[in-house]
Amino acid sequence: MRLNKLLSLPEAARRYAADGIQYASGAGLPVGADAVAFGRELLRQGRKNLHGVFHCNTQQLNLLAAAGAVDKAECGFTGLEGFGFANGLRRAVERGTLALEDYSNLAMALRLLGGALNWPFVPATVNIGSDIARRSGFAPQGAAGKIPQITDPFSGRTLGAFSPLAPDLAAIHVTLADVEGNAIMIGTEWSRFELSRAAKKVVLIADHIVDTACMRQYPNLVRIPGIVVEAVVWWPYSAWPQASPGVHDADEAHMRLMNEWLASEEGTARYLEQFVHDYTDLDDYLALIGPELIERLDNGPTRFLLDPYRQWIKPRAEVEALLAANAKHGAQERKAA
Amino acid sequence: MSASAEIIARRAETPPLPCTRQEMMAVAAGREIRDGELAIFGVGLSMLAGYFAQACHAPNVRAMTEGGVYGSTPIGGLPWGIECNRISANAVSFTSALDALGCLVASGRCDVGLIGAAQVDKFGNVNTTGIWGRAIGNEYTPPKTRLTGAGGANDIASGAKRVVIMVSHEKKRFVEQVDYISSPGYLDGGDARERYGFVGGGPSAIVTTLGILRPHPETKEFELAGWFPFASIDEVLASTGWALKVAPDAHVLPAPSTEELAALRRVDETGMLRRQT
Repeated sequence: MRLNKLLSLPEAARRYAADGIQYASGAGLPVGADAVAFGRELLRQGRKNLHGVFHCNTQQLNLLAAAGAVDKAECGFTGLEGFGFANGLRRAVERGTLALEDYSNLAMALRLLGGALNWPFVPATVNIGSDIARRSGFAPQGAAGKIPQITDPFSGRTLGAFSPLAPDLAAIHVTLADVEGNAIMIGTEWSRFELSRAAKKVVLIADHIVDTACMRQYPNLVRIPGIVVEAVVWWPYSAWPQASPGVHDADEAHMRLMNEWLASEEGTARYLEQFVHDYTDLDDYLALIGPELIERLDNGPTRFLLDPYRQWIKPRAEVEALLAANAKHGAQERKAA
Repeated sequence: MSASAEIIARRAETPPLPCTRQEMMAVAAGREIRDGELAIFGVGLSMLAGYFAQACHAPNVRAMTEGGVYGSTPIGGLPWGIECNRISANAVSFTSALDALGCLVASGRCDVGLIGAAQVDKFGNVNTTGIWGRAIGNEYTPPKTRLTGAGGANDIASGAKRVVIMVSHEKKRFVEQVDYISSPGYLDGGDARERYGFVGGGPSAIVTTLGILRPHPETKEFELAGWFPFASIDEVLASTGWALKVAPDAHVLPAPSTEELAALRRVDETGMLRRQT
């Protein structure tokens, strides 16, 4: 099993995350599929001074910012869409403990594409003329280096230049992955394609582990191939309380509760205690959400989207056996080294 | 303003509307969308107004969201986000932000975009980034109140052929100059957009809870073009933080027709717009 890249969530976070790194989320949207559970794990392991690259804020950045684990962040959108302002992030920005660099959503996608292609810069026809180009959270004294003016060598016209992004680590939520890291995303991929090529290391967090035969049936839909992936984590409901199209709905009550609690220091401490540090394993985590709620969220309107793939989904026991086999293999390799 | 007395005289006395101000705003914004157009809607009110247009007079509108969700209509209520399951259950294509905001909007292909605002100024510049409550100069300091940031609205404001801004008509939101330009309107007016070579044409309307403002063809300063039957010029002026000019042809706008209201309420199936009066 040379290509088995399954790791447990704690092991993947231990191996690939460190204090002070440039850490990108799955470029998911605030209500959609983002590996929020990876952010919980970073906090459980005490990671700090992170530089967040979040195309959109999600509950993950909201939580990391509320807990004081992020010093810097670059974002295209910093709210929670229909759930309002992101209170944890907002608090950190207003206090001045988190330097936030604003871009637009397309700017973040283009900067990731620039990183993926290893381009020196990306031409900017958006963000120019706005205060996004004139003000910098990272360089408060002068934003000249943020979106500098360049001249189009063909037309002579003046436009802007975006700096490319190449985060140290990307934790990307995917719906389906095989053990080699080939992955299918259901729903908008947002910027997960570009991010998977831009980041120096990619860890996938999958709702389901499938047989590689699934990827061979739908190779056009495999937008992240295993060759760019370091590790695969199986952690159901990693997007909770956000939605994973095809798998589960957003938990609207917890979306609100989480954001309400993150609005204050005390609430954040309570949230960390009850929903970050208190669980010991996957069963414990799922118990936090609760079996009745899981059953309801599982039966959402997008459930049918998963139907073509169900035949390849590996049962839990098999995934755990593969995980154990990889852990054993890894231990032997380390011993040999 | 010399014309305002005459306009007031022209204003018809109408009975109270059978709908809320929010519903009137959504209908008026939806009327800005024409059948067959390639259109992009942000989350919230913009989406309701857009899908209302599709359900009413623009059945062939080609709607998309910033996430690259194509061909879908919301089910089970107003989507919480541009990607959530309520907008993902009947799509014909899922792609990406790069595709929707880049290939289809910033490229100049998109006909019309609907965006919201926390603050808007007389040149249609939109602030959704933060409230500083003072001039911030060139140095960056943290805002008193942090808002949501530009999101995709900056890309829509830069690249769409025209943009419709939806915003609740309150003095604190209609300011002489926004604290921060998150999404460009006409900047400082006139031909300022041309200096930057924007692909898109800029905002064609600001639709509010009281009426509609449109830009003067040359100065690009927004003027009152029409008001809703329950509002008045005086109320609009009192709710605007700059000396708002009234266009010579300003007039009272028609109330929602029975068909329009029925279509809107089919789209707003959870009654979000009826609660927020």
